[in-house]
Amino acid sequence: MPEGVIKIGVVSCSGENCLGGTISRLATRKMIDEIYPDKTVTICLPLFLAGGEQERMFANAYPTITVDGCDKLCAKRATEKYSGQVSDALDVSEIIGKEIAESPALSTRNLTDEQREMITKVAQEIKTKFEKVFTDYVNTLIKSGKTPASGCGCQCGG
Amino acid sequence: MFSKIKVIPCSGMGKVYGLLARESALRVTQNLRPQECETMCLAYLVTGDQEAREKIEGKNCITLDGCPAMCAAKNVEMAGGIVVDKMKMIDIMKEYKGAKPGTATELTEEGWQIVDEIAERIAAKVKKLAKEEE
Repeated sequence: MPEGVIKIGVVSCSGENCLGGTISRLATRKMIDEIYPDKTVTICLPLFLAGGEQERMFANAYPTITVDGCDKLCAKRATEKYSGQVSDALDVSEIIGKEIAESPALSTRNLTDEQREMITKVAQEIKTKFEKVFTDYVNTLIKSGKTPASGCGCQCGG
Repeated sequence: MFSKIKVIPCSGMGKVYGLLARESALRVTQNLRPQECETMCLAYLVTGDQEAREKIEGKNCITLDGCPAMCAAKNVEMAGGIVVDKMKMIDIMKEYKGAKPGTATELTEEGWQIVDEIAERIAAKVKKLAKEEE
């Protein structure tokens, strides 16, 4: 991570087998596209195995929140197995209910308004965790005598 | 006994290619050839769980990858799956020069049309493989 720039990792399972996976993916994309585009960074989970040392450094380089579609918690377990301890973890099935989360995966072409609301709700939960992890990380940096700054990284204050 | 062919996309998070792979896999497994193929969570394979490995070990798989990192193909091979075809979206998109398929979050109409065409190709491969297995 470039000095002076704070980014938080959000890693979703993007599971292909259930609705929870679709929601984990889209809620994570909402963080990247809309909620905290300048502070959110992600990685494709399978890259921990298919990639190299740099990819496996992800959770060490960024405080990381995992977003799982079901209680198998694949994103959390794989991140901790190959990369590092996660700062927080979210299980979509605890928010929208196990039965709904484990219903068949859905194409984004067929999303209903109700499912879009679920995505927004999950994204809000990620946002809440994100803000806590961010604040805790900044406080840790301050305590260790480092000067935290978030933004574009060019020191312009943006 | 006939075992459904696994169609496994990378579902890459960073670029539209990952979404093209994901949506093509869902289209073929849910709509075009549901009796002959199915998908499974790549993330589950990544965990290395024995149960996940058992689901794929020795099974014929078609992998759909967005980028040259080939995450789906590599992870399926590591889990013991037999990768009979590796499709790479970034290469397929060279056939659609100038197309604007959308983003990693959502596809455009053009993107959906491309998904439908890719899914038809996968369906033809599935049909052929299923016939060979009979």
